[in-house]
Amino acid sequence: MQIYLPIAELPVNVFVILAMGLAVGFLSGMFGVGGGFLMTPLLIFLGIPPAVAVGTQSTQVVASSVTGALAHWRNASIDFKMGGVMLVGGIFGSFTGIAIFRALTKIGQIDLMISLVYVVFLSIIGAMMLTESLRAIMAARRGTPMPTNRGGQHTWIHGLPFKMRFRRSKLYISVIPPVAIGFFVGMLSAIMGVGGGFIMVPAMIYLLRMPTSVVIGTSLFQIVFVSGLTGVMHSVENQTVDAMLALLLVVGGVIGAQYGVRAASKLQGEQLRAMLAVIVLLMGLRLGYDLVTAPADLYSIIDAVPHS
Amino acid sequence: MTVRAHIFLALAALLLASPARAAQLVTDLSEHQVRIRSNFNGTQILLFGAIEVNNATERARDRDVVVVVTGPAQPVTVRRKERMAGIWVNNDAMTFPKVPGYYSMVSTRPLEVTAEPAVLKQVQIGIDNIDFGVPQAKGFAGHKQALSPEDEKNFAKALIRNKKRDKLYNADPGGIVFLGQTLFRATVDIPANVPVGLYTANVYLIADGKVADVIATPLYIDKSGLERHLYRFAHNDALLYGLIAVLGAAFAGWLGSALLRQK
Repeated sequence: MQIYLPIAELPVNVFVILAMGLAVGFLSGMFGVGGGFLMTPLLIFLGIPPAVAVGTQSTQVVASSVTGALAHWRNASIDFKMGGVMLVGGIFGSFTGIAIFRALTKIGQIDLMISLVYVVFLSIIGAMMLTESLRAIMAARRGTPMPTNRGGQHTWIHGLPFKMRFRRSKLYISVIPPVAIGFFVGMLSAIMGVGGGFIMVPAMIYLLRMPTSVVIGTSLFQIVFVSGLTGVMHSVENQTVDAMLALLLVVGGVIGAQYGVRAASKLQGEQLRAMLAVIVLLMGLRLGYDLVTAPADLYSIIDAVPHS
Repeated sequence: MTVRAHIFLALAALLLASPARAAQLVTDLSEHQVRIRSNFNGTQILLFGAIEVNNATERARDRDVVVVVTGPAQPVTVRRKERMAGIWVNNDAMTFPKVPGYYSMVSTRPLEVTAEPAVLKQVQIGIDNIDFGVPQAKGFAGHKQALSPEDEKNFAKALIRNKKRDKLYNADPGGIVFLGQTLFRATVDIPANVPVGLYTANVYLIADGKVADVIATPLYIDKSGLERHLYRFAHNDALLYGLIAVLGAAFAGWLGSALLRQK
């Protein structure tokens, strides 16, 4: 069944979009990832204009991060103070990202930018996830426990000024690193249409040395607001949020997440994580392949002014 | 199709009964308005008409009918990719100020035999004769630059090639079907990705290499129903639209969380 998307201005198959929403929702429920970094490239492969894919995807990120953040709120595993500090950076980052997005759209380099950023991040994240899960699988076979992260070490981060106490995270650190992380992720969120958890979570664990128990909840809390802001700004600045597409993605995503969460408790995590890593790597390679191979037509056309 | 056939017959009857007049063409469209709804997947417009003839000598003349349907014109930028550091990057660009969003030509015979190229160019009959206006070239970072006439031609060709690939520019020489001596009809394909706006269906009667008559009929293509409202909403009230989209998504997320808790 075809449905016409009013903003993307093309018809798509309803079931294809729903199925994509389900699949990404399933993975996001299973691994606790937002799934934006999978959905945006999928939408682009499907022929949705990259700008519309990114703008619309931010609403899907809002939906999945609200679900996740609420669960963590009930478990009291959110450091609101830390989340708030990161959010300050995130808001500025989001504004900057939107400005970059606009400038690049104007000179015709936004599609390249989106592809490049995705190639870089999908390859890095995919490779990191794959090595980590393979190491975990091998460690499990040998029966040796994984080396755990030792906390309480002093690094250069502790030498920075403007220190603040974060009781929930049991930290007394400078606000500069959390603001900077928030800024960087907010920028990526605006350009890539992702929540950015896949960057924020490792950064919070390894750079800020936050306790793992509050990391995911805090990042989700911050993502809710940054991606919400990004979605509104993409609507205002670029009119690239397609409500029809968003509805289909969100419905698929919410349903998929339910099964993903249930499946996560039954299936073997590490093998699946390795599979996800392979999917992520393949998508990165596919996008990269498109960048280096000669396109069928060197010329492309685009409306010089968005029509109203 | 039966409804169309009825209209067609009614028009034919009307035409045969009407007295002779100076203009020689009578035409109409099966639809004057195309509404893009959620199930829109392209459509076909039927154009029909008749050539009035007063006597047998006129009938024997060398005549052609050409139908040209044109969409609203607007500036379009054509970009050319070049290899930089191993990857293909948009480099030179050229903006044509008035590019019809849609152009479809249907004729009785190939255009070469209907009239001289100069005549066709003047009235913009045929895809290669569309006047895109004076283009402006820009470089990688958006600075103005000059490109050779050769390049300009390549960009214009690429524009047409891209539009044809998107099925927005079509040519169907020989696509006009004559029923008897005077009645004719043509079908024009409107693809799903068609731009909205006011279209014009021009029907030209070309006799002895000259445009003998032309009739212009407006055709309105617009989004309708929910599609129209969403589109208008997104453009006219962008802030409210964005807020509702985001809050709606947040609500869906809350719903998902509530569902999750029940289990």
